Amino acid sequence: MIELGHFAACLAFAAALAQSVFGLLGQRAFAARFSVAGFVLMLAAFATLLVAFARSDFSLALAAQNSHTLKPFVYKLAGVWGNHEGSMALWCLVTLGFGAAAAWRMKTGRDIFEARALGVQGLLASGSLAYLLFASSPFLRQTPAPLQGAGLNPLLQDPGLTFHPPMLYLGYVGYSFVFALAAAGLLEGRIDRAWAKEARRWSLAAFIPLTLGIALGAYWAYYELGWGGWWFWDPVENASLMPWLIGAGLLHSVIVTEKRDGFAGWTVLLAVLAFLFSLLGAFLVRSGILTSVHAFAVDPERGLILLGGLLVYGSAALGLYAWRAPSLKAGPAWKLVSREGALAANNLALIAAALTVLLGTLFPLIAEAAGETMSVGEPYFGATFTPILGAVLLLLPAAQAWSWGDANAKTASTKWLIVAGALAGGAVLFGLMLSRVSIGTALAVALALYLIAGAVIELRRRAISVQRLAALPLRVWGMTIAHAGLGLFIFGAAIETSQRYETTLALPAGGSKPVAGWTFTLDKVEALEGPNWYADRAILTATRGGESVQLAPSKRFYPAAQMPTTETAIHKTGTGDLYAALGERREVNGETLYVFRIYFNPWIDLVFGGVALIALGACLAFWPKRKAET
Amino acid sequence: MSRWIAIVVLCVLAPFALAQDQALSDPAAEARAQAMMRELRCVACENEPISQSSAPIAEDMRRQVRDMVAAGASDAEIRDWFEARYGAFVRFRPKADTPGGWFLWGAPFLILAAGAGFLVLSRRRQPSGQIEPVRPDEP
Repeated sequence: MIELGHFAACLAFAAALAQSVFGLLGQRAFAARFSVAGFVLMLAAFATLLVAFARSDFSLALAAQNSHTLKPFVYKLAGVWGNHEGSMALWCLVTLGFGAAAAWRMKTGRDIFEARALGVQGLLASGSLAYLLFASSPFLRQTPAPLQGAGLNPLLQDPGLTFHPPMLYLGYVGYSFVFALAAAGLLEGRIDRAWAKEARRWSLAAFIPLTLGIALGAYWAYYELGWGGWWFWDPVENASLMPWLIGAGLLHSVIVTEKRDGFAGWTVLLAVLAFLFSLLGAFLVRSGILTSVHAFAVDPERGLILLGGLLVYGSAALGLYAWRAPSLKAGPAWKLVSREGALAANNLALIAAALTVLLGTLFPLIAEAAGETMSVGEPYFGATFTPILGAVLLLLPAAQAWSWGDANAKTASTKWLIVAGALAGGAVLFGLMLSRVSIGTALAVALALYLIAGAVIELRRRAISVQRLAALPLRVWGMTIAHAGLGLFIFGAAIETSQRYETTLALPAGGSKPVAGWTFTLDKVEALEGPNWYADRAILTATRGGESVQLAPSKRFYPAAQMPTTETAIHKTGTGDLYAALGERREVNGETLYVFRIYFNPWIDLVFGGVALIALGACLAFWPKRKAET
Repeated sequence: MSRWIAIVVLCVLAPFALAQDQALSDPAAEARAQAMMRELRCVACENEPISQSSAPIAEDMRRQVRDMVAAGASDAEIRDWFEARYGAFVRFRPKADTPGGWFLWGAPFLILAAGAGFLVLSRRRQPSGQIEPVRPDEP
């Protein structure tokens, strides 16, 4: 079975090579057939891995290392991509999948261009497959087969983490086809409206899952780790944030190319960089050079191969860019106060932010190479990343109404800035009056309200009347929802990070203590048993006024991995989450005390909801036009 | 991998050792202490501030922060005290008093300024002439 899978993967490698050769020779039809064939073959290969894990076939070394007979079925399947080799197989599958989807859905009407794009995608796929087959094969057998597997890391046995990696890969690898489009466009020397239209669709196809993948990861960190937070500026988180920022810049820049033939060189550069940053992320996570709680610790040799691939792809693409970019046509002229100017400012801030994240992530590594140890964390990013992005967002609501080329300052913008100033000023005053928030938080809240109001008023302006809202293009709805979602996210993030309340409680069974207006009573602690774990579950009752809430945080222990996990209990109060995590048991003066960590996370749902709205907005923008609009 | 699991178990998921944490009675001082704990790195863990870590050393470090805040030490004095004992590694807010530090703190804004300069200059090179504004009907 596995040998068949291995063989299918080898055939997929051959198909990808054929796809590159025929593609680069300009044979669209052949390249398309090979990309579909490669995808189907890799799908079969991946299916054999799934079957082996589902059946707990421990003669497969990968299954023996990462699975266990007692694991719930879903996590047996998820175990395939919960490790380095299996996740590389998924990476290859998705790369080939994007090639096949592109062969099917690309419709620029330019055969040679499309063939070359498939050809470049084939090159990327064959590179990944070569790495998979020769440097990290998931198909290896092991004799004698052990009777029992070592089990999947219990932290990964969670619905959030089941879907987080595939989503993230859809995003990372989605940019591979954007990269292929960029390379094919550069080979042809034509970066025009038709190119931009195609590139925009595929950028959205990558951006949506990348956004969801990051959000799932953050949500998982929030409820599974028991730390109460959702973003830690961890190097691995940063590795996924960088391509997201570049991708967001690309989504805005490509509009100028699509509508005005402008920014062609810049857009194509971002299209290349988005994938290079995805690869850089993969390299950082898999090479073991990062110190992070959730880096895959893989041996440095594999890291070197990845770095080699990154350098080869990067230098080839950037060389091609340096050669061709000067010959790209410039779009029509524009003034600084114009749609183009605003989108240029957006790009400037997003790219500066991405480079800041890169610098903050790599700087400790560079310092370490120079013999010094240092740390770069939240205070650094809060003082650099946040103001850079915050400042450019001041422009957003006003700039949405600006014309291409030259925005007459008298258009909607003057009115806007007054509304904005009033709103922002009011909120800052309000915040400072309460004297419970810092100036930074007050400014962020003001900015968030300004963005949300701006999105709604701009929608109304474009619709002209309320009755015509439904007739607006989906793109406009997408833009509005995404920008409003960003506002909600900023609101939630600013309030949550500055007003989060955290404390620890030690309670005996039957004891109670007041915390933040609530009274917590520990009713009992009971023992539970699951399929592959056993747990202590505490039953806490929190009362406030006449309100009574039950929270049941537990602590699991997975014997196979010899590892505990926390299962937090979260109660949604409407204005935030009451969050409890169970800690250890202590004996103090002959009394048994249970330690809890209690948080109140105000408006945390807006953090995740805002990001979900950004993804929803991108989905609407991605959706094909309604018939009437075409 | 096992090293990482050990670290995770040690620092993250292992029982919280926070029962000994005695909050300061003055809420303002406690808030300042907690803010400081969020920017000091646990020396036994990977990439965690002492506010989150459950390693015993982090507990001691938290107590030290509270003691210093209670004794009236400034934020800078607390940071320096920890740096003197545990090295620059302990600060999540890197210092800006070396060329490398200046670069780290200055680079984001330099990039922004250089980009803005490039933008303005490249726009100057545009062909002159009347610019026809076009109302956007789509984003």
